[in-house]
Amino acid sequence: MLEILALALLAAVLSGNLCGAVGFYVQRLKITTLSFSVAHAALAGASLGLILNFDPVYSAIVFAISSALILGVIFTKMQYGRELVSMAIFSASSAIALFAIYMSNVRVLATASIAVVLWGSLLAVTVQKLIILVLVLILFVLYILAYRMHIDSMLYDVKLAEAEGLNVQAHMLAMLFFAGVIISLSFRLTGGFLVFALLYNPVAAALQLTRKAYMQLFLSSTLGAVSALTGLVVSYALDWPVGATIAIVSSTILLLAYLFKTATEMARKRKLRNV
Amino acid sequence: MPPLENDIVNLEGVWVAYSGSDRPAMRNINLRVSAGKLTLITGPNGAGKTTLLETCLGLLKPYRGRAYLFGVDTRSWRIREARKMCSFVPQDFIKPPFEAYTVRRIIQLGFAPYKSIFESLTEKENERIQWVSELLGIEDLLDRPIGTLSGGQQQRVVIARALSRKPRALFLDEPFSSLDREGRKLVSKVVSEYVRKKDAAAIIVSHDVNPIIKYADTIVRMDNGKIISGDCYA
Repeated sequence: MLEILALALLAAVLSGNLCGAVGFYVQRLKITTLSFSVAHAALAGASLGLILNFDPVYSAIVFAISSALILGVIFTKMQYGRELVSMAIFSASSAIALFAIYMSNVRVLATASIAVVLWGSLLAVTVQKLIILVLVLILFVLYILAYRMHIDSMLYDVKLAEAEGLNVQAHMLAMLFFAGVIISLSFRLTGGFLVFALLYNPVAAALQLTRKAYMQLFLSSTLGAVSALTGLVVSYALDWPVGATIAIVSSTILLLAYLFKTATEMARKRKLRNV
Repeated sequence: MPPLENDIVNLEGVWVAYSGSDRPAMRNINLRVSAGKLTLITGPNGAGKTTLLETCLGLLKPYRGRAYLFGVDTRSWRIREARKMCSFVPQDFIKPPFEAYTVRRIIQLGFAPYKSIFESLTEKENERIQWVSELLGIEDLLDRPIGTLSGGQQQRVVIARALSRKPRALFLDEPFSSLDREGRKLVSKVVSEYVRKKDAAAIIVSHDVNPIIKYADTIVRMDNGKIISGDCYA
């Protein structure tokens, strides 16, 4: 049991960290809706994996990468209406996921295999999945370091970067690809419907706490890891569902960050009034 | 007209429309800009000036006609290579107060498209950034976050970024909009000298023609998506 818990803790830290980091980039590049669609495509893939007897993680990765590629091409070809196409993929993916669950032999949503896909599970982490997570982390960090100037240029101003000859589409595609793979690997812990709590709550909290881009990246990935780790420990201690607990912890952190920002803003204004 | 060797921009019967709009933003535009020329595009709001500039760079694609930048069709994937020879100053350049990138970093990022993986700036490139910053009077701002600067200072920064890249073509969209009188005179002079010395081309969109008109080789007037006067073959 201790070995399973250690694996889960490690996976939680890595998933939270990666989700927080990729969430920062998709938010700054304004492709949040696109990544939302990729996440749902991963859920559809995992659900199909269930009825076709594939490992849900691998089928989720295949679906996530395919949708990232489709969205990447759409991003290149369409100047307007990308968000709407993205929403169409989101609804189609959700429909596929729900159909797949309905078509599977088990009709109870708490059944172990479906529970992993929908709500996440502490027991779902294996050594193999952990190694893949580590590899993805290494690849992601290498990508960010290798293309630091390119990515910084896009974070500053995407249109200007494109006008200067930067391959914006390729980097958007790469970011969606990483988002897809990271989401596919993370939903074992959080569940397909709650993975967004790790993807967007940490960056939203980081935005409340600092204005500096690199601090936002650092805080987003750190808060992601803290949310996942705390959620896991609390869920283990209180026997709560792991995905929902992680989502509640990350939402609480976001709320605290918002309250902290409001309090410091009020203090700053009071100080200004007294000057 | 047949394409010429030193054509930097060549638009042939170009029509452009924005997605969802039932009327074209630009109609049957013919324009040729060659090296060593400064072209001023003017006209009222909504005339299609920015659309024209973005079409030249391939950021907007024509639904009828052909647009070429350095002889490359803007629909081609090779357009990125042509864009690397260009610099752009967008109309909406002002960043919010919380934008923390420093002025130096923002100018450095203009070199990003020339850099391969893990490559950083050379000594020579950093020296050029320093030189251009001094030329535009922003050398004291290099380590300041962009969000803390005024609109005029931010505009000088994007112009410095554009010039640092040593472009063969400059595309400037309302580059005087936030500048004071002295700033307008300085930028006009620096840009026109750059065009002459480097045999580059500049296409400047401005509804205010005063600061630049004396340096312009060609003045193109637009209204309602059409060129209404001016020599389209500069």
